[in-house]
Amino acid sequence: MTALLAAELLKVRTVRSTWGYVLAVLGLAALVTAATIGSESDQRRSEASFQGDLLLDGSAPATVVALLLGIVLVTNEFRHGTITPSLLVTPRRNRLLTAKLLAGAAAGAALAAIAIAVIAATAAIWLGILDVPLELGTAAKAAGRGLVAAAVAGVLGAAVGGAVHAQVAALVGALVWIFVAEPLVWVLLGLLDVGGAADYAPTAVLFTIAGTEEDALSFPAAVGMTLVWAAVAAAIAFFRTGRRDIT
Amino acid sequence: MIEVSELTKRFGKTLAVDDLSFRVEPGAITGFLGPNGAGKSTTLRSILALVHPDRGRTTVLGVPYRELDRPLHRVGAVLEASDVHPGRSGRNHLRALAAAAGLPRSRVEEVLALVELTGAARRRAGGYSLGMRQRLGLASALLGDPEVLVLDEPANGLDPQGIRWLRDFLRSLAGEGRTILVSSHVLAEVAQTVDRVVIIHRGKLIRHATMAEVEAMAAGATRVRSPDYARLAEALAAAGIEARRSGDGALAADATPERVGELAAAEGIVLHELTSERATLEEVFLELTGEPGERGT
Repeated sequence: MTALLAAELLKVRTVRSTWGYVLAVLGLAALVTAATIGSESDQRRSEASFQGDLLLDGSAPATVVALLLGIVLVTNEFRHGTITPSLLVTPRRNRLLTAKLLAGAAAGAALAAIAIAVIAATAAIWLGILDVPLELGTAAKAAGRGLVAAAVAGVLGAAVGGAVHAQVAALVGALVWIFVAEPLVWVLLGLLDVGGAADYAPTAVLFTIAGTEEDALSFPAAVGMTLVWAAVAAAIAFFRTGRRDIT
Repeated sequence: MIEVSELTKRFGKTLAVDDLSFRVEPGAITGFLGPNGAGKSTTLRSILALVHPDRGRTTVLGVPYRELDRPLHRVGAVLEASDVHPGRSGRNHLRALAAAAGLPRSRVEEVLALVELTGAARRRAGGYSLGMRQRLGLASALLGDPEVLVLDEPANGLDPQGIRWLRDFLRSLAGEGRTILVSSHVLAEVAQTVDRVVIIHRGKLIRHATMAEVEAMAAGATRVRSPDYARLAEALAAAGIEARRSGDGALAADATPERVGELAAAEGIVLHELTSERATLEEVFLELTGEPGERGT
């Protein structure tokens, strides 16, 4: 499995689209950090919680990008036909998919680490100029949440990719779900007076881990629930990929 | 070495492979032939566990492909030249496969040199010509130095120079004792390369024979023309050779040109024409597949 994981990560590193995702994360992290620091009052900036929120807000885009990268990591194989040589090397499809789920986690965590590094560097310089002391404990805790959120998002993305196979459908479907469908579900559940159920929805639990969702589940419960969603998608992925004729 | 038993595969209403059975002998090059749509690719993909048969069984080296330990070390396959990410370099494509198979990076350089692709290894595969992508495919098949090679239409899209390179390359690989199963829809394309042929049509086995047997099928009558037609016909009949008169006054004799020529010389009969009516390999192939109108398909 180590060799398979190394191969999957090599595949991720050796296509330019990955570096497009990295650049997107870098840009969004820097933008969100600068905008947040610039728009807050001096009093808010000096609060310990501000630095944690800064990291959580700045790394949140990395969670979404990690989900998309996870999808691409699997669907690229079907889009470009490389699933054929991949399965010739690893004919046991469950092993290949498992390696891809793990690669999704690693790639997601790496994206979050890049985002966190950019946020930390930007914040350290800016807050240093403003003479605000750094709260490393709070920052480390927030960075940890960001890493876990992106890693789990990478797994979820790879599972969705394995379940859908068609790249455009999976990417568009994921974005529509995150930004349109699930918010509508939240509203609908609220109208039905079961708004609490919305806390368990995929995007809600993912952003609860990332710390950008208020009044939701606890961190461990959110991680567990996200993994349940990932497991559901992965079960479909194993079933579909296992049965599919590669023609 | 490779065994296909009662293989049947249907895609929707289309019966792609119909109760197909054959065996590929070790240490030889076997041509897997049939017109386009005959079921060759489906059969090869079934052998390689990429397609799930509805019925029947395929084995490579005695076990289903899926159960092979370290499959890249046992079987190399090239199915589609386009099965490569266009944004990834040829070298990185091979490195990813080698990494998955637990092979060292040095092996990637070896196979790149073997298929004469080292100079283009850093370029993105999307910019490769079809011939270069075929070579990249062959390089990936050879990564694990396998004893069995399965190649699906490797000459497709190659120019004459590329086809010659491929033919020499396959011959050198066979010379190393490897078993090679190579599919094609053109018999003449592989005639100089293969030892045996498996011919299928509409998913069914048409003929499993040695190349020598196929060439024997091409042997036809001898066309002979003489101003002394009556004596020639008499001499042939006396020698027990059946002959038929064709419309232009010539005779079609069921014997080799050498035999007919010797007989005419012995009898002192003047000949104006002595030619073989031997069929081309392509004609034999089309006759076997029963679709004379589908030349080259």
